[in-house]
Amino acid sequence: MPTRTVAVGSASGLHARPAKIFVEAAAKAPVKVTIRVGEKKPVPARSMLSVLALGAKQGTEVILEADGDGADQALDGLAALLAKDLDADDA
Amino acid sequence: MSELLDRRAIRLAEKAADKTEAIRRTGQALVEIGAVEPGYVDTMLAREQSISTYVGEGVAIPHGTLGGKQLVNRDALSVLRFPETVDWDGEPVTLCVGIAANGDGHVELLAALAEILLDEDAARELREATDPDTVIRLLGALKEEDSNS
Repeated sequence: MPTRTVAVGSASGLHARPAKIFVEAAAKAPVKVTIRVGEKKPVPARSMLSVLALGAKQGTEVILEADGDGADQALDGLAALLAKDLDADDA
Repeated sequence: MSELLDRRAIRLAEKAADKTEAIRRTGQALVEIGAVEPGYVDTMLAREQSISTYVGEGVAIPHGTLGGKQLVNRDALSVLRFPETVDWDGEPVTLCVGIAANGDGHVELLAALAEILLDEDAARELREATDPDTVIRLLGALKEEDSNS
């Protein structure tokens, strides 16, 4: 299955704002994407509560997985998003 | 050590005409217990404008911007229940959990809160709570994060 491992880039971690941006992007993906930390259970990337419950901080490595048509492209986009500092424009 | 969840900041029969008023009341509860300076409420509204803090299950978690952190005196939560619900960009919100956090503890705090809300029974109990003790029992597991340093 196509997989991407990426370290969370947002200064404050994958919490409300960065999490929301990520979840909204995942919801638009044509394939079902899961996200997990380490060997923990994969959770749906489009579920805000599930993503928040990961408790991922800046630098935490998360693993994205998806299957089906367009999975690689969707994962590339989401991985790039996670690697960015999504808090950056938050003054 | 101060409690993260102050009983005075649990208000279960609130009313608000709209999202903005609901956030103001949620923030005001944090102001009244001395957890934040009044200016923090404006940063909560700014945060909400930049992105919705609706998380699902009829719950929103208004909190300030990064810039608002300096207005936080201590980490705290406020829990406001709107039995008649508040329209949150099309989603009915029953519960607002206001968050004040000045360190990095908020990631763990949000994670723990999300974990509780993922339990559908706990989420429903919270939405239906009329007794502050119920809220304290359900959210009592939330702890102020001891910093790693």
